[in-house]
Amino acid sequence: MATRDSLIQVTDLKKYYNRGAIKALDGITADINRGDVMVVIGPSGSGKSTFLRSLNLLEKPTGGSIVFDGVDITKPKAKNAEGKVVRVNVDEHRQKMGMVFQHFNLFPHMTILDNMTLAPIKVRHMPKAQAEEKAMVLLDRVGLKDRAGAYPIQLSGGQKQRVAIVRALEMEPEVMLFDEPTSALDPEMVGEVLDVMKELAHEGMTMVVVTHEMGFAREVGNRVLFMADGRLLEQGTPDEIFNHPQNERLQDFLSKVLV
Amino acid sequence: MGNLISAANFAKVAQYADLFKQGMAVTIMLSLLTVLFGFFLALLLAVMRLSHLCPFGFLGLTKDGHLREQGFLFHLSRFNPVSFIATVYVEVFRATPMLVQLWLVYFLLFDKSVIDLPKVTILGFIRLERFIPGVVALALNSGAYLSEIIRAGIQSIDGGQTEAARSLGLTQGQNMRYVVLPQAIKNTLPAIANEFVTIIKESAITYTIGVQDIMSAVNATKGALYIIIEPLLVATLMYFCLTFPTSKIIAYFERRMSRGDKR
Repeated sequence: MATRDSLIQVTDLKKYYNRGAIKALDGITADINRGDVMVVIGPSGSGKSTFLRSLNLLEKPTGGSIVFDGVDITKPKAKNAEGKVVRVNVDEHRQKMGMVFQHFNLFPHMTILDNMTLAPIKVRHMPKAQAEEKAMVLLDRVGLKDRAGAYPIQLSGGQKQRVAIVRALEMEPEVMLFDEPTSALDPEMVGEVLDVMKELAHEGMTMVVVTHEMGFAREVGNRVLFMADGRLLEQGTPDEIFNHPQNERLQDFLSKVLV
Repeated sequence: MGNLISAANFAKVAQYADLFKQGMAVTIMLSLLTVLFGFFLALLLAVMRLSHLCPFGFLGLTKDGHLREQGFLFHLSRFNPVSFIATVYVEVFRATPMLVQLWLVYFLLFDKSVIDLPKVTILGFIRLERFIPGVVALALNSGAYLSEIIRAGIQSIDGGQTEAARSLGLTQGQNMRYVVLPQAIKNTLPAIANEFVTIIKESAITYTIGVQDIMSAVNATKGALYIIIEPLLVATLMYFCLTFPTSKIIAYFERRMSRGDKR
């Protein structure tokens, strides 16, 4: 179960476009603890994805801070444990944050196995044999061991997304970020992806999930954030959010999505 | 006035067959080397143009570490000298005549001293002190054109690919090398190969600096026999024999590659 050990502290995170005319994120403050399954919900255009993508700096925040493992990764330089000023290496931090995208983003020119072993071999300098062995174990876990030699185009959407998840897992991240992982899938394939995510959650993986799957949020999440217009309007346990919503916007939103 | 084209004249031109054969070999080598060097130059230029090096980036931060969004310092912080240099290069080379570039390269760099080439003749007919300037000029020119093709190829790759690669911890360089460029080059291979055909044809102007290619054989025959039409027709046929099969082979690979994509 979730411990109270804080992993990521987001403080007053801002992301403005067009000189502040568009405020995609308008001061988000949230704490992500180890073992959390944090589900972010909200209407489209509310900044959920921007928030998630800011966590590993795919979006550069306009302001605020993200402290990951004790280092503010939004600043070019930070103090390390001994108080010395060091350069923040974004690539190093990204390795510890796995990310799964709405459109899978597998590399189409590589086989499934090569997709999985690219980062471990090139970034972690893992021997090829070892990386492949590890990849096969992970593929077996999601039932795709026999597709290792296939190309992404030969896989179904659900299979692609399962590969994308284990590709991120191969780097042994401390936290997994999911950006609407089931939104681009045919309805009958949503279940197989959610099952993999559930299993991960039960193993204690720290997860931040942006999703429209309210069932998943309720069942698997231990914290739910509700965002609208770039602001965090309400947060709480699934029970608090779904059964006792306080904020008017949240009540309105739930009335539309929970039919 | 006799016949415009006569068999007798062709028979005379046939005496110079060796000259034409050698010219063909020179044209082929000239084109191959140009594509090779032009391609690497183009890769470099394309990556330079798309780079995100902003040496004055720190000026874009306000005192409290936030990003500036307007003003002179904002624009200065976005200035990328590497991309700027590559852009100027490409625009200059695309906006000036190939002949001018060739002569500039030859007379400025090689003819009078800046770079002293040994007067070596290889295979008995390739004079390096003319051949190398020819390759350099053609490669500088085709590099500019090819870089635009490769740049378009890179930009056609979905941004999600880069995001996925970077989120796995790959650096920007690794992302380019292992994820973006292999896909970009595969997509633009037909256009790159097309540029190869263009180079074969463009290489004809190198005879003006004394490269002994097919056109130079025409020139020599003209000088010796005082006939021009027949040697020109021979040259036309030779160029056609080089470019037509090349473009057919390209078309074949293009079909094969698109078949692989649809699977």
